[in-house]
Amino acid sequence: MDKVFLLATNGLIWGLIIALIALGLAVIFGLLDIINLAHGDFFMVGTVLAWATMQTTGSFWLAFIVAPLIGFLLGALIQRVIIQPIHNVAALSIVATFGLSLILQESVRITYGPTPGRILAPISGTIHMFGVDYEIYRLFAAAVAILALGGFFVFLNHTKLGTWMRAVRHDRDTAIAMGIPAGRIYVLTFGIGFALAALGGVVAAPITTVDFRGGVDILPFCFMAVIIGGLGNLPGTAAAAVLLAFLEGIIQSVADPTVARIASLLLMSAVLLLRPQGLFQGLTR
Amino acid sequence: MSPASIRLILWVLVTAFMLAVPWLVPALLNAFWVSVIAEILIWSLFAASVNLLYGYTGLLSFGQALYFGFGMYGVAIGIQDLHLSFWPALSLGIVAAMAMALVTGVFAVRLTWHYFAIITVVFSLIFYFLALSNKWLTGGDDGINFSLPPTFRIGGFTRSLTDATFQYEFILATVALCFWLMHRLIESPLGKALVAIRDNDVRASLIGLNVYLLRLIAFVLAGFLAGVSGALFAFFGRYASASYMFYHVSGEAVVWTIVGGAGTLLGPVVGTTLFIIVREVVSTHWEHHSLIVGAVAILVVIFAPKGVVGLWNDWMARLSERGSTPASAAELRVGP
Amino acid sequence: MNQPTSEPILRTEGLTKRFGGLTAVDDLSFSVTGSRLHAIIGPNGAGKTTFFNLISGLLQPTDGRVFFLGEDITGAKPHQISRLGIKRTLQIKSVFPKLTVAENLWITKRAGHGFLDPFRPARADRETTSAVERTLEQVGLSALADRQAGTLSYGDVALLEIGMAAIAQPRLLLLDEPTCGMSPAETARAVDKILELARSIDIIIIEHDMDVVFEIADDITVMAQGAILAQGSPAQIAADERVREAYLGREEDEDYVEEAAHA
Repeated sequence: MDKVFLLATNGLIWGLIIALIALGLAVIFGLLDIINLAHGDFFMVGTVLAWATMQTTGSFWLAFIVAPLIGFLLGALIQRVIIQPIHNVAALSIVATFGLSLILQESVRITYGPTPGRILAPISGTIHMFGVDYEIYRLFAAAVAILALGGFFVFLNHTKLGTWMRAVRHDRDTAIAMGIPAGRIYVLTFGIGFALAALGGVVAAPITTVDFRGGVDILPFCFMAVIIGGLGNLPGTAAAAVLLAFLEGIIQSVADPTVARIASLLLMSAVLLLRPQGLFQGLTR
Repeated sequence: MSPASIRLILWVLVTAFMLAVPWLVPALLNAFWVSVIAEILIWSLFAASVNLLYGYTGLLSFGQALYFGFGMYGVAIGIQDLHLSFWPALSLGIVAAMAMALVTGVFAVRLTWHYFAIITVVFSLIFYFLALSNKWLTGGDDGINFSLPPTFRIGGFTRSLTDATFQYEFILATVALCFWLMHRLIESPLGKALVAIRDNDVRASLIGLNVYLLRLIAFVLAGFLAGVSGALFAFFGRYASASYMFYHVSGEAVVWTIVGGAGTLLGPVVGTTLFIIVREVVSTHWEHHSLIVGAVAILVVIFAPKGVVGLWNDWMARLSERGSTPASAAELRVGP
Repeated sequence: MNQPTSEPILRTEGLTKRFGGLTAVDDLSFSVTGSRLHAIIGPNGAGKTTFFNLISGLLQPTDGRVFFLGEDITGAKPHQISRLGIKRTLQIKSVFPKLTVAENLWITKRAGHGFLDPFRPARADRETTSAVERTLEQVGLSALADRQAGTLSYGDVALLEIGMAAIAQPRLLLLDEPTCGMSPAETARAVDKILELARSIDIIIIEHDMDVVFEIADDITVMAQGAILAQGSPAQIAADERVREAYLGREEDEDYVEEAAHA
């Protein structure tokens, strides 16, 4: 029973972190209509940036600022240089992001190296809760994720930029007619997408490994969250991420992790075929 | 020189070269390159399956590796566990791939664009994970190694399957046959209907085309091509592994197709050749050839979306401006 | 040449389409008899194109039935309805842009019937090829036969669409704003072609250009807010108070009343 509780809670926390990353994908997918095959690698770059920050400054906390910032700049650059010229043609942008994924993975492999590494959690120790020893860092990670998620939704709903983003997503032509600079919003969006993934990477780094292939597993999971949550439904995506990770955590306590993954994929197929608007239709737009 | 004669000369040269490879290449280079060329042929066929769906029907599948895998495992399991001989094992692989394409296609083809692409990946991932976790059957990521039945028999004609020259010839013949079939398909009424659907699916249904059924047919045919390439791969590597069902494999084929020229018959061949040769040449000196693949993919997509063969066709069309050459190559679809 | 029959060629009963809270087509009972060119007019948002979408199968009705030549076709798929003999054009000019003009016509003719043979080359189909040549001449596009349809001028695309409509030899042709966005010269050409077609095909046309409507229509139906406001001959419609209020009601259109009255 303890094991189940531990796996379930871990799943929940992991789900919150994934929600952050998936939100980045949702924003890119929902606004730019781009299937970003490099998104998992954006997360991976976040973990590497966390490691690099620790190496150069000795402080892990600094990474919380550095990684998202660099992520944002990289994302903006990518949008401007690579995506902008081709974003009308869906198939081409899929190929471009696939190429980007290869470049990111290989670049990290060259600079960081092929061996997975670990980062020590800045907060060590455990708390005894409900009969189980709980890692404090994980609880902290959950708190950070919740804060970041909340902050993002505040940004989206209560700031001018956020409102512009929602307007362009909703009706591009009208938004342009109203004077909103759609081109710059796209750049902003991609930057935010990368930044969210990178932040997720920092938060997750002490829990997972720093590995140039770290994004490969994350990518399908993020897509699952976006599809099951509903394309364009940002709160839905976050909710779906948490739910999926939680469920996978529970299933893992009784079965192979692969089984859990297959179950999620089957659920995703069902949603795509039967209810493509996602499961959380009611939750906002 | 007119485009028609340029084409003819090219065809003659290439055909002569391909037929002479088993003798020419070891003499000029190294026997190793014969197997590289054989590999190129197999993967070109795989890329052709992506091309049939994307270039001609307008469906971007990122999951063709699934059918490649079924072709591959059909042969491997057929020989290893079921002790089948050559032709039955080959048939098993191909039939398995087509059956899988039919079953998944029935669902996948109901969706379009993003959702179609995504569900093809999802289906291939499901089976990838199934293959990984059923190591007793599939050998998981490590794969199955098996040995071939010793002889190939057709009518009274017998050859040893371990004869490298024969292997190459068989692959060449099979791949050439498949491409010829694809050529016939493209020129046929069915082919024209697929291109119409690619261009404007609403209009296609309004003129009486059963879009769903036609897409499904294309999907199964693509499954056939992928299955054949998987079966050939298994036969001539004597190896099958779940890692070949991963979406990276599908993705690379998409890149090869687009770089070579989607919507052209030989685009997949050109693209695959380019990338595999670069890989072989570069990886002996530098292990990070994936960087090149990624960079080329991005550059082509931005600057030359029609791909190599697409550009070539444009050039040919300009050359024959004086005459009247009908635009025969269906071009890259633009727009959702 | 179609003989007037007692059975209307197209009939709807209580046809309704609701999108969530919006009722686009409201309990429409409508019938068209043969050998007449029937025009549907009405303000934007009246439900005219939705009506066409319902008949051609692009939309499923929320309620009501559609009968074609006496047969219930409610809920049939677009390609099935097309094969029964109803063809239509779309409001925004829509052809197969990467195919040539000739190929556009070819596939339209071939798609409507028969088996799509995957083995013999398309060129070998003499019957279809000669039909394509005839149609090219009819609409005046022979010179552009090998041009990609996506490169044509707007007016030529319209002609191609009309050609595609004709080559399929439909029993009923639905034209959705065929002269939309055309210059006067292009409009005149299109109108000529449509009148030619009308001699052998039953046509229902949605139009905004009142000149065209009053020139070619035998019957007019006026739609507003998803329902039929009025039906009748051009003269009757022009004189109808409700119609003038809802739609025509402006000083300039007094001319129509004059013209129609003397027609």
